[in-house]
This record gives sequence, structure tokens and C-alpha cells, in this order.
Amino acid sequence: MSEPAIQVSNVRLEYRLSRSNVGSIKEYAIKAVKRQMKYESLWALDGVSFEVAKGEVFGIIGPNGAGKSTLMKIMARVLPPTEGRVIVRGSVAPMIELGAGFNGDLTGYENIVMYGTLLGRTPEHMRGRTDAIAEWADLTEFIDVPLRSYSSGMLARLAFSVATDIEPDVLVVDEVLSVGDAAFQIRSEERMKDLIDKGASVVIVSHDLVTVESLAGRAMWLDHGKCVMMGDPAEVVAAYRRTVEEGAS
Amino acid sequence: MSWSTLLTTNFYDSDSARKPLASEVANLWAHRGLIRLIVARDLTVRYKRSTLGVWWTLLNPLLTSGVMWMVFGNFFRFDMDTDTPYIVYLLSGILLITYFAQAVMASGSAIVNSAGILTKVYVPPEVFSVAAAIAAAVNFMISLAILLVIQLITGVGIPWTVILVPIPVLAMLGLTAGLGLLIASAAVHFFDVLDLTGVGIQLIGYLTPTFYPIAFVPERFQFLIKANPLYSYLTVFRELVYGNAGAEWWMWVYMLGSAAIILVVGVYLFSRSWRRLVIML
Repeated sequence: MSEPAIQVSNVRLEYRLSRSNVGSIKEYAIKAVKRQMKYESLWALDGVSFEVAKGEVFGIIGPNGAGKSTLMKIMARVLPPTEGRVIVRGSVAPMIELGAGFNGDLTGYENIVMYGTLLGRTPEHMRGRTDAIAEWADLTEFIDVPLRSYSSGMLARLAFSVATDIEPDVLVVDEVLSVGDAAFQIRSEERMKDLIDKGASVVIVSHDLVTVESLAGRAMWLDHGKCVMMGDPAEVVAAYRRTVEEGAS
Repeated sequence: MSWSTLLTTNFYDSDSARKPLASEVANLWAHRGLIRLIVARDLTVRYKRSTLGVWWTLLNPLLTSGVMWMVFGNFFRFDMDTDTPYIVYLLSGILLITYFAQAVMASGSAIVNSAGILTKVYVPPEVFSVAAAIAAAVNFMISLAILLVIQLITGVGIPWTVILVPIPVLAMLGLTAGLGLLIASAAVHFFDVLDLTGVGIQLIGYLTPTFYPIAFVPERFQFLIKANPLYSYLTVFRELVYGNAGAEWWMWVYMLGSAAIILVVGVYLFSRSWRRLVIML
């Protein structure tokens, strides 16, 4: 029995809402003198624990504001947890908010190299992959054009192509399956399934309950930063559906 | 080919202690490829959309010195204590002080400006601050060409010591990266930090003898100028680039010492605040 790919234990994450009140040194000094420094804290995650085994597909569902995206960012290392511990074994491909750092003044080629490097690969490696990445995104003829003349669909395709041009050990996916037009969606879904089939551990967040039910081996229902239920995806999805419908009626 | 070796990170434990200094050095080394890209991007993007291109780097200090040369070299004349032409004295001062100002501002605003990246993918935030300071240093080295040309035209010539100019430039890199890291993490919490920085840079600029000779300052106020570390940087730089600038041994010590201390303090305080940084962006 090998060690789990992802271990999340008792993770809490605090957002301080003081920013709206104190944004400048001047105001800070005034409030500190008046002893009015109060933090309103919001626990976006409040004691979440779970493990994902190697090769397992783990689904997370829950309403908006439940803390799903925050949890993804914690696994992707973007946000360090305030309390608790996260361990991720293996290379991680975060498929969240694709296209970070795209620069309109740089060409497609330059952006591919930059984006791939931001995702943790080396510039040398990326330079060798630009042709394949552009070809897969159907953008070969635009590779030397500055990104500002790309359409939003082209940008999404390019970002997806770069992000998935890898065989990661861990894939963290946040609603990115719906990229581009219908034809591209089919191809991108195939590519995702390909990555999963190659044995990557996957954590997937989706509002599409059917996707979670069909893809995931296990699922967690998250609400207000806490795990409400965890286990068989069909059961978790069914329970979640019931509360949503009760709330609606 | 193993994909794991290709990535900068393939094991993450949020509990693994972050050692001040050691972790930053390791982070910067692991992301050296990214730093190189950011520096190159900074230099190309800035000029890509203008027809003047890289000549902007040279034009800005040249215009500033041109105007100041007219005002202070002709209207109000300073009695220079050496026979170095005033334009050489002035341009060397303006180039270095502009470098300092640009480096601190760019490095200090780098993290806030990179919020769009830092909240989406994992990159150690210090990478952006340090890369900005390096880009400013490279920019300065390019702009030196114009000073050397003026030295040739005015007959000052170029002494061999010019090959040692990278020493004050590296010291300046340490100073500006240290200050930049301090300002960058403060700027995430308070938006007016960058405005204050701008004011501070302007004030310290006036306290540096860029366009006036230090002999012009009354004796009892000279300690103010000498206490300003930038005076040491500037005098050492002038000594190396055209000679005969009156650099003394304590200026070398002050320059290298202040660079080392500010860099270490900046990195240390940064490493204590980084945890809450990205969440505040």
C-alpha cells in the first residue's frame, strides 16, 4: 500500500475582512491609536480532512461559496493553510483559472513559454514543446501574433493546451472541461480522460453533478468550509440533490 | 523522460518549515528560468510598442541631464572641485539615482502587480520582486553606454577601472532587492506604501549630490549627505567610471555593508510575512 497522493488534514483557512476597513497606513495608525482594530474573520475552510489515493478520482461538490475553489488553491499550493496540513506527493497540474500571466503584447510563442514556466516547467523544455502545443490548440498559424489579437476562445484553447501538455501525478481540476466550441470541448474532454487513464490522481470540482457521479470514485460535499458528507459519489450526489431541492421548494 | 524531474516542485508539505534566507535562496534558484524570462520580458515589452524601442532607456536620462545641464551648468554655476566636465558629473549622478528609483519602485510594486498570477498559480512571490530589481540593473548597464560616449566626446576618456563598475551595480542590486521585498510585502497590506516610497525616493535623491558637488553643502550639514548610503554608491561608481571622484575606503565599506544588511533584513522580514501575503492580494 503506497502513500496517498494527497493528504489534507484539518485544514482551516482564514480570510480577514479588515481590508475594507483598513487599507492605508494612515487609517491603520488612527485606528490603532483609537484601539479600534478589529478583525472580522471568515473561515473559508473550517477543519477539512481527506485523502486521495494514487490513481483515485475524487470529486468535490457544494454550493457557491462553500470553499471549493479555496480548497483547490490550497492543494495547488497557491494559498498556504492557516491551520492544518497539506501534503501532495508528485507533480501537480493545477487546472484552475487557466491562462494566468498571459500578456497581450507578447506573441503566442512567447506566452506559451512564459505560461509553462509559471506552471513550474523550464523555459528550455517549453521552447521544445511550443509547436506541439500550438498545433493541438489549432493555433499554429497564429503563433507569432501578439496575444491581444486572439479571441477569447483562442485564448482558452491555448491555455488549456499548455496546461495539459504534461503527464502529472496529480491533477486538480476546477470546472475547466467546458472550454471553447463544441468540437474543442470533445477533444479537451478526451484529453482529460486520457490524463486520468494514465494513472494520475484527480481532484475535480464541478457543478455538473453528472460529471462527478460518472468520473469520481469518491466524492465530498462541502458547505460553509466544512465537509458535510463523504463517500460513494452516487450517495453524496443524491443527498446533496435532496437538500438543494428542499431548499428550492 | 520523467516528468517529475521536469517540474520545479514535486513534493509539497505545507508544514515543512520555511527557513529564512535558505528558503528564499532555494526558491530563487529553483525559479531561475522564470526570473530570466521575466527580466527579458520586462526589457522587451517596455519597448515593443514604441518606435524608439530600447533608445527610450537612453533618451530619458539624456533629456533630464540636458535640461539640468542647461540650468545648473550655465544659469547657476557650481564651482566644481575637480576638472571633470559638469555634464559627466551630472549624467553619472542622474543615471545612478534613476536606477535606484526605478529598481525600488519596480521591485516594491512587483508583488501587487503580479496578483493576477500569484492568486492562480504557485510561484514564490519573492521571485517577482527580485526579478524586477534585476531587470532594473540590466537596464542601467545598457544606459551606461551613453555616459561612456559622453566621456569620450568630452575627452575624459574611459579608465580601466570601468570593468569594476559591476561591483557598485551588484551592491545596488542587493540594496534595491532588499528594500523592494520590504516594500512589496508592506504594499500588499497598505495601498499607500507605494506613494510614500515615491516621496522617500525623491527626498533621498535630493540628499545625494547628483547635480551639486558636496563641497557646495555647508560643512555642518555635510554629515547628512555622508550618512545617506546613496552618496557612497554614487561616489564609488563615479570613481570607477571616470576616476578622480574622491572615493574613500569608508565609502566602499558603507556601500557593501548597507547592501548586505538591507538585503538580509529585507529577506528575513519578507520570509516572516509571506504566509499571509497571497491571501491578502
